[in-house]
Amino acid sequence: MDLDKLRKTAAEIVSRDDVKYLLGWRRGTFGYRVAPYFIEDAAGVDELIFSPLCISNLATYLTLVEKLPVPRGQEPDQRKVALLVKGCDSRAVAQLLVEKGIKREEVVVIGLPCPGMVDRELLAEKYPETEAAAEVKWDGEDFLLVGEGGETAIPRTEVLAEKCRLCRHPNPVISDLTIGEPVEPWATADDSGVAEIEAKETAERWAYWEEQFSKCIRCYSCRNACPLCYCEDCILDRLDPTWVNRAVNFSENTAFHLARAFHLAGRCIECGECERVCPAGIPLGKLNRKLARTVREEYGFEPGLDPEAEPFQAGYKPDDPEEFIL
Amino acid sequence: MKNHDNPYIPYTATVEEAWNETGGERCIKTFKVILDDPAVRDSWSHRPGQCAMIGVLGVGESMISISSSPTEEGYLRFSVMKAGKVTTALHQLEAGDKMTVRGPYGNSFPVDDWKGKKILTVGGGIGQAPLRPIVEYVKANLGDYAGLTTIYGARTSGDLCFKQEFAELEKVDGINCHLSVDLEEEGWPHYVGFVPSLLMEVNPSPENTIAITCGPPIMIRFVLENLKKLNFADEQIYTTLENRMKCGIGKCGRCNAGNLYVCKDGPVFSYAVLKDVPEAFA
Amino acid sequence: MSAMLLHKEKWSEFTGKLSGKNLWAPAVQGEMKKFARVAEGQTVHLDEDNTTVPPKALVFPQTETLCRFSLGQTDLELPGLDEEMVLLGVRPCDARAMALVEKLFRWDFEDPYYLERRERTTLIGLACNEPDLNCFCSSVGGGPASPEGLDILMSDLGESYLLEDITEKGKALVEEFKDLLEEAPADAVKQKEQLVEDAVAKIKWNVDPEGIPEALPQLWEDPLWEKVSAACLGCGICTYLCPTCHCFDIQDEVEGPAGRRCRMWDSCMFAEYTKHTSGHNPRPTRRERTRNRINHKYSYFVDKFGVIACVGCGRCSNLCPVNIDLIDILRQVKAAR
Repeated sequence: MDLDKLRKTAAEIVSRDDVKYLLGWRRGTFGYRVAPYFIEDAAGVDELIFSPLCISNLATYLTLVEKLPVPRGQEPDQRKVALLVKGCDSRAVAQLLVEKGIKREEVVVIGLPCPGMVDRELLAEKYPETEAAAEVKWDGEDFLLVGEGGETAIPRTEVLAEKCRLCRHPNPVISDLTIGEPVEPWATADDSGVAEIEAKETAERWAYWEEQFSKCIRCYSCRNACPLCYCEDCILDRLDPTWVNRAVNFSENTAFHLARAFHLAGRCIECGECERVCPAGIPLGKLNRKLARTVREEYGFEPGLDPEAEPFQAGYKPDDPEEFIL
Repeated sequence: MKNHDNPYIPYTATVEEAWNETGGERCIKTFKVILDDPAVRDSWSHRPGQCAMIGVLGVGESMISISSSPTEEGYLRFSVMKAGKVTTALHQLEAGDKMTVRGPYGNSFPVDDWKGKKILTVGGGIGQAPLRPIVEYVKANLGDYAGLTTIYGARTSGDLCFKQEFAELEKVDGINCHLSVDLEEEGWPHYVGFVPSLLMEVNPSPENTIAITCGPPIMIRFVLENLKKLNFADEQIYTTLENRMKCGIGKCGRCNAGNLYVCKDGPVFSYAVLKDVPEAFA
Repeated sequence: MSAMLLHKEKWSEFTGKLSGKNLWAPAVQGEMKKFARVAEGQTVHLDEDNTTVPPKALVFPQTETLCRFSLGQTDLELPGLDEEMVLLGVRPCDARAMALVEKLFRWDFEDPYYLERRERTTLIGLACNEPDLNCFCSSVGGGPASPEGLDILMSDLGESYLLEDITEKGKALVEEFKDLLEEAPADAVKQKEQLVEDAVAKIKWNVDPEGIPEALPQLWEDPLWEKVSAACLGCGICTYLCPTCHCFDIQDEVEGPAGRRCRMWDSCMFAEYTKHTSGHNPRPTRRERTRNRINHKYSYFVDKFGVIACVGCGRCSNLCPVNIDLIDILRQVKAAR
């Protein structure tokens, strides 16, 4: 990764009068942590990084940042938000455009072809985090850990994030400019990583999800981190009527996760943020990827590839398949 | 688990009378309720300005100011605006129906310290509900105070609460009533304009006077500004705050403005205290 | 206070016997480590890492019933008292958190649910010889072997555990197990003190909170709040998994004719938390919510109860998915003074 080029480009963009801030990443406060980074002026770009630890999807902030009413007598700030996107992140931007969650003129999209990200927890299991912030680099196919103890080569398969192993769109699908050469997609087969669960008997599968959903503490990090969960008035927050009780138990937790999964069918772009942020380790990615594949296979639709596409859930065709519906 | 002293367990009460004060989507309904347990009824005592958690089992509870004065004995009054889930359920209650009551909660207006002073209330809309107990209390103990002036307004005459009571109040010697509506209205004999403007029109002297205001946040802001223009000192101005609450007893954490819990340290605050509290007017 | 030794060869007998007393100990469930019921006769294995979910979840359950009722009726039925329980392997920070939260639940109106459950719980602590990466207990008035909130403090001396009873409840339990224990020699206590000293030295993060409670009100409008909250997802991880966070919601739930009023953890980081029915929100953005979280712990609680409501367990910093780090915030607060 040519960091100098990235920083130089970022400095130019963030200096533009029509740009409010640039969303990137910077080294975290310790260990392998990386933090989303809001850069407001050219001086800020020195801390900007793009490394195998920059797994988070910054497109989430396009809708997460609160839009407060403009005080009387003031003009609304119509400057653009610039953001760095990997392949998966760019699909979130495209899908937000499809849904008119954002407007094209509101964003400057800087594409970064992505060779795959590290699963921080897998890495920390093998190479425990220390108080100093460490660096991870791409090294050909593999990764290179640069820490206090020097450099350690880490084979790709050891720490590659699952969502990256399955990724079929590592290059940004939409961008105003791209930094770096496109990468060759590595996942050729359409594998959603759910074969093992699909192979289970119904009762066994139920038991599996019962165990998973029972762990949920309803912190809503999955919903909040999701770039496509951005309803202003989430049905799961509503009390009148109460669709999902606030009580935390298997039944309510299941209602919560299934409602979310179905609302994301045909919209989820498989960035894996839900699963990454979950403190309970619930494999939400598997759930969403299963539905995404059903949509692909049955309807031939894949979200977040074409910003001009008709929203999947808003369309109806008389010959839509239904034989798989129970 | 022991029932006694469990502050989360409400009393039950029966609605004796219920009537609509105002119409419209966000109408206000007043409930006159009697606590069911005679022992509880006898031991109940509240001071003007205090609140209670009232509710409907199966729906929930809401913190509502007790709009009756302690001088009105044997029953409690609550005036409730229909806004959310709980208040909508409360609005369905009629005479004979049950509601739950917990309380009384919070501090109160220091009516004893105010003896010998002139009392000025400035209310807007549903904000008159927490002021009503002061009006009633001072009216019942008029000899202890140097007079009472009430200023009260709403958007239209149909949005004014306690209209009949104000008509009676006007007739009492030593009490001055000023009513207003925001918009011009046929047959309206009183002031037309916003409450803060009416306050300037009435032009009360700050001398030996306590001003208490309650109403929509924007009204409170301008009333405070105008009271300062009229040379009221911070210590002479009081208001009551309202924040989202769940427990009412300082545990659930959400009603704080800065380091003050509205449910326990409030709801009544003097402006002298409040002006330094971050979030107080957020 | 007595100091007794439990040799590790008697550990499985000790925990096996304790397991008859409704025993709870740390256990791993997926990615999450939390206290789980120990089956009778089972041995407990304690390791160095603290639990993801603090043991507060046992005395202040995420969801608990306040009362039950039948729709249309006015009788309220209170939940039965929980069985007495013993928690084994509680970290001193988490026990101290319970002692702090108890101040709030005792303040003015006593909260019978919390207090009665707390009374029926015996806490056997485990001193930390190896602090976690994000630990900073010694900065905020605690320590790797702080006894506050515990009934018995256990220290791992290698070949044996040193058991020190802190409360009458602890003393009674030690007495009950005296057949498995022996009087600790003076050098065992000395060894423990050395371990504590070593553990403190191993703590990586230190921040002197001196001046923070006074500085926070002055920094109300400081730009730091916008900076430290910009990346916040507004989720409940930092608060739900904080051992001193105690905010809750109360909701009525109805199924057919049966209803219950229950309370459940809530979080000041949620937008809904302070939102009025009218739609007005006194804390409209993550900036105000983050500011409230830090102020509540490091200023408001200090004003009310004279102590910082943070025990330095490091969970919020460790578990935040976007690296919002409490130590970093505190340092920024100090720098902005």
